[in-house]
Amino acid sequence: MPKLFSRFFLVFLISIITVGCAQTAQSDANNADPITVIDGAGETITLDGPAQRVVSLIPSNTEILFAVGAGEQVVGRDSFSDFPAAALDIPDIGGGFGELDTETILLAEPDLILASEITPLDQVEALKTLGLTVYTLNDPVDFEGLFENIRTVATLVGRNTEAETLIASLSTRLEAVNIAIAPLSYKPIVFYELDGTDPNAPWTAGGGTFVDKVIATAGGFNLGSDLNGAYAQISIEEIIQVNPDVILLGDAVWGGVTPEIVTARAGWDGLKAVQAQQIFPFDDNLVSRPGPRLIDGVEEMARLLHPGVLE
Amino acid sequence: MAKSRPYLWSFGFLFVAMTLSVVIGSVLIPLSTLGRMFLHHISSVGQTDWPAAYETIVFQVRLPHMVLVLLTGAGLGGSGAAYQGLFRNPLADPYLIGVASGAGLGAVIAMALRWPVDVLGFFTIPAFAFFGALLTVMVVYVLAQVNRTLPTTTLILAGVAVSSFTTAATSFLLLASANELYRALSWLLGGGTIGGWSPVGAMLPYILVGLGYLITTGHQLNVLQFGDEQAHQLGIPVERVKRLILVAATLTTAAAVAFSGLIGFIGLIVPHMVRIVYGPDYRHLVPLSIIGGGVALLLADAVARSILAPQTLPVGIITALAGAPFFLWILRTAKSNIHW
Repeated sequence: MPKLFSRFFLVFLISIITVGCAQTAQSDANNADPITVIDGAGETITLDGPAQRVVSLIPSNTEILFAVGAGEQVVGRDSFSDFPAAALDIPDIGGGFGELDTETILLAEPDLILASEITPLDQVEALKTLGLTVYTLNDPVDFEGLFENIRTVATLVGRNTEAETLIASLSTRLEAVNIAIAPLSYKPIVFYELDGTDPNAPWTAGGGTFVDKVIATAGGFNLGSDLNGAYAQISIEEIIQVNPDVILLGDAVWGGVTPEIVTARAGWDGLKAVQAQQIFPFDDNLVSRPGPRLIDGVEEMARLLHPGVLE
Repeated sequence: MAKSRPYLWSFGFLFVAMTLSVVIGSVLIPLSTLGRMFLHHISSVGQTDWPAAYETIVFQVRLPHMVLVLLTGAGLGGSGAAYQGLFRNPLADPYLIGVASGAGLGAVIAMALRWPVDVLGFFTIPAFAFFGALLTVMVVYVLAQVNRTLPTTTLILAGVAVSSFTTAATSFLLLASANELYRALSWLLGGGTIGGWSPVGAMLPYILVGLGYLITTGHQLNVLQFGDEQAHQLGIPVERVKRLILVAATLTTAAAVAFSGLIGFIGLIVPHMVRIVYGPDYRHLVPLSIIGGGVALLLADAVARSILAPQTLPVGIITALAGAPFFLWILRTAKSNIHW
């Protein structure tokens, strides 16, 4: 046994030196201006030039990359990245059961890994130990933050012009919604259901979350805004007491919940929203992924809450 | 088959399992290339016509992972055999007196609180798991003492009671930290995420010391099978031996689960399989279970990594799914040879 270990440690030492030499040789190949930025975790990231082989660890990052025109530069994406359709053709690097497939990531020979605030820190650390560059993109807290994130990603992949065009277009659309919604005096109370597995205590989005913001921007009032946390549980009794005007089913896509199912729930039939049939399925990906489709989410919600106001 | 020269067979299986572990992975590296890579690194002969990524994959991902799994399996197998001898119970496994539930609670607490990450870095979860396991066993130990003895019955009962409490606390924390649910469940089913050689270095002292001691307790465990009173009359310092075996087995198991999560069945089944093939002599049962545990976990881990590539299934699922039927099959074909 000890002989085996000492042999392996020797092998390890030699391979470290070899890998180290190989890496220094590669970094001289790029002649573009070096990029130095500080990421969301406070780490200084240096790239020799715009990243050409990016691995994205979270769907929102994948969407941003494609939106700024860097789809060709993505060489790996996590299991949940499904938009746009072209993303599905990119090699899957795991993340489904909570663990990333380090081997496939290494094989893709990335020069940049785009992680997020919710990527487990030990996974980020493990990737860094293997000599990979990991940039942590923090979740934005408002739309300005979202636009900043888009700019940051664009800088990393050398797509600044496309990013500005995108941001301009998104801002215009956002402004259009704000202008249309501002004069309205009626703000429907919205119950946004994240998970209705237990109909007596469904999960909704609390105050300060992006769902909360999107509802507010779309001219509604989030029933869950008094609650704390991204996932907050609320009792059906409170829902009945507040009596929301509209129910949005964020669990329609992933959970298969339909307005009929909601109408059939015990105690829900007395709700205003149920009786007026103001229950709508909603693609949760539009509001839970901090990417350019948030604006799609705002428009979609504004159309549901205030039909006819947006042209 | 393996009655004669069991160690030869065991080390043979171990070598095969270790090779398999390095060969299998989500990236297909041909056997010949692997052979040449190892040859090149040991003796620098041959041309390096493989991508640099292969080197990183084999020497920084697969090799340390293989050693980690080997140590974990060995730890679980060895302490499983020791627990079965200590409790004189064929259903004893290393998790009996709260190591698993304590480690689970520790790990889930670490995942729920983000602040310790700044202090301990990414060793936070294993450290919390390790100390959670030790604390829980200490509580069980204190609760189970009767006068100055440690009856196995009270130990088991206290273990069950404390385990129920820690499991409930763990479930509550799981519900309260929805963001970490996936990861927590994955850890609880047996999936470690830290790669590289540092976990190996952290685990090694505990595993070596624990298993090293347990190997020497073979004779004492044999005598303990006759019962506490008999063993005492035969010259074994029963209480002292019980405590030492408990400490060693617990340290080993705690270190094993701290990095690899809760992997079941290895500690329970491997000693039985060794017993069926070789017999109940603890002087050989413990070392053979150590090797057997390593082999079993390496094989299970290879399956876990390849069956749903690029996803990695938690190893605990494979050990549970495969372990039970395999054990039943062995039991059927060797019924007459069993002595507990």
